[in-house]
Amino acid sequence: MVRKLFLTLAAAASALAISGAAWADITVLVPSGSEGDGLRAAAADYAKMKGTKVETVQAPYANVFEQAANAGATKSGVFDIVLMDDPWIPFFAENGHLEDLTPYFKNAGLEGPDNDFLSKSLAICRNPYNSGPYVCLPYVGNAQMFFFDAAKYKEAGVEAPKTWDDVLKASKTLTEGGGGRYFGYVFRGGQGNPVVADFMPIFWSYGADLFNADRSKVTIDTPEGAAAMKMFMALRDVSPKGVESYNANEVGTALAAGTSASSINWPNWVATFEDPSQSKMVGKISYTAIPAGTKPGSSEIGHWTMGIMSASKNKQEAFDFMLWATSPEQIKISAERGNPPVRASVFTDPELTKQEKFRHYPVLMEAIQASTPRPRHPKWPEIENAFGIELSKAVAGTITPEEALKNSQAAVEQITGLK
Amino acid sequence: MLKSADDGTLTAQSQPGGGLERWAERHLRYLMLAPTVLTLLALTIFPSLYMFYAAVHRISPNPDLPWEFVGAGNFARLLSDAQFHVALRNTILFTVVAVTVEFVLGLGLALLLDKFIRRLTFLKTVLMIPMMLPPIAVAITWKLIYEPQFGVLNEIMYRLGLPLQAWAGDVNLAMFSIIVADVWQWTPFIFLLMLAGLASLPVEPYEAAALDGASSWRQFWDLTLPFLKPVIAIALLLRVMDALRLFDLVFILTGGGPADRTKVLSLYIYQVAYRFADPGYAAAISLFVLFVTIVLSTWFMKRMRVTD
Repeated sequence: MVRKLFLTLAAAASALAISGAAWADITVLVPSGSEGDGLRAAAADYAKMKGTKVETVQAPYANVFEQAANAGATKSGVFDIVLMDDPWIPFFAENGHLEDLTPYFKNAGLEGPDNDFLSKSLAICRNPYNSGPYVCLPYVGNAQMFFFDAAKYKEAGVEAPKTWDDVLKASKTLTEGGGGRYFGYVFRGGQGNPVVADFMPIFWSYGADLFNADRSKVTIDTPEGAAAMKMFMALRDVSPKGVESYNANEVGTALAAGTSASSINWPNWVATFEDPSQSKMVGKISYTAIPAGTKPGSSEIGHWTMGIMSASKNKQEAFDFMLWATSPEQIKISAERGNPPVRASVFTDPELTKQEKFRHYPVLMEAIQASTPRPRHPKWPEIENAFGIELSKAVAGTITPEEALKNSQAAVEQITGLK
Repeated sequence: MLKSADDGTLTAQSQPGGGLERWAERHLRYLMLAPTVLTLLALTIFPSLYMFYAAVHRISPNPDLPWEFVGAGNFARLLSDAQFHVALRNTILFTVVAVTVEFVLGLGLALLLDKFIRRLTFLKTVLMIPMMLPPIAVAITWKLIYEPQFGVLNEIMYRLGLPLQAWAGDVNLAMFSIIVADVWQWTPFIFLLMLAGLASLPVEPYEAAALDGASSWRQFWDLTLPFLKPVIAIALLLRVMDALRLFDLVFILTGGGPADRTKVLSLYIYQVAYRFADPGYAAAISLFVLFVTIVLSTWFMKRMRVTD
């Protein structure tokens, strides 16, 4: 009897789990962390207000890409909306996984997204970049900033770092005096996405890029690339031992615990650094623009954007939800929940800017407007992996920086078929 | 239909109009086998055939593009793919070192417990705990232990005045750290099998050897090891097959880095299939791994004469 009951319950539970998403009017795939949490909370609000059931499926960063790619390749229609990291957009758009939003804007009597969105935030949602039709709407306004402990930098003789030379000077002094327990700089050196993300701003600051302007040639192994690599290696030498395996958590923890003085980081970490329950550095970390090299510094843009899957069976409902979730009111609520905004009106809203926890908003807004997207290529995940392996080897010291550039050039040429 | 006779046996009895029942009676043995065969077809045969089919095609992530037949093209790519070669080398290194250490430790522990502390069942249970833990929990636990700034291992090093190490981040230590975690988890498995093998050994040959004045070492070498050979073969075979599929520890602890030093075949297959959206090539690598495993297992079984 008990066995029968158990089996019945197990079968019922399995059926519920499998068909859970099917009960919803819209199903949204979101990443773990504050970005996904924010949209999940918004979905709950939307359900209460409109009576539309929005199911959110949350997965770790890499799994979001995989699940969305699988859903797109199999035309399963299991997800109506996917919250994407912006470098994934070319892959999804050019493989036919994303819906062109133009007709939906027309149906709504709109020409497109309104002008309150930051122009750089909108540019990434068009494919090709800044010129094609809209395939998504921006939701979380991530762009890297430079985070530093101003008091420590002052002790090291640098008021506010304007250039990478300033950063290196202060970091060297702090690391030398740190006795192996305190470091001037820390970065994500983990193979793949982490090391590439923390190298790109330095790469750009020295005038280097992965491709030339019309994307017809790979341009990694250049004098500009070598200058950027030289600075990157110098910064590695003043970073903690083992930085070659660091990801966002290790870097965030090092800053929050006050064991490292500076790093490139993403704005969603601000909430952690300003939370006394998670940080020893509340009110002590300053935020500024990415330092300059031989050229002005430029942040890497890393927006989270919402797109409708082509195989969705609820496209209009999905568009309605996206339009609502990216409205000024909702972006403000999202900002209060810890996600950086994508609208000028929210960045400058006095109700927010007067609060200490949003003191980085002017810097962030400037960072977004001065940001650069990662190369817009449908094979970006493969390119990033190959470049990330060579950078990781250089950081670990198993090959020279020159070899890393040469190998990266060859690997990216092979992946893209460019010579 | 089936009817019970007076003597209690079941006999078939046909009824007018019972065509379906007669058919069922005639094909009863097939019907009884059908669930098993269907399950096998669905869970083993179909995926395997599908993998073969995928391996000879280039599969675009764009669902509107047809699969392109490339014949042996995906297998030919294996020859020139530097990342595959790195993953293969790392997998072999991991398998040889980890399984060897696990075997030596597992056998040693089994001999120790069997001979000296046979009654301490509590200790045996404690030793088996790592094997019972989910691999993901083991990986996360070791990630915390190895954490360079706040991990317990570096805290001990610091208190002992030793230099701190990037256990999972140093190119020279990362593979070693993964092997240590794997040894911690799977030595109990070898230990358990060896203990069972030792418990089933006959007593007489040892008594005779003792009467002849054979030393403990001689008894171990000439009696214990040969008697244990079938158990050792099974234990090593299962561990080698499992080590060739290593994924969880690498995925959580290092992600294949630093500098590709811990990239193993399973991780590379996962990356090719899901990150680079190239399932045809991933299927070809998977078939290669399957082929190596089958060849290795067959050779090993013959070599150890397990079938005898």
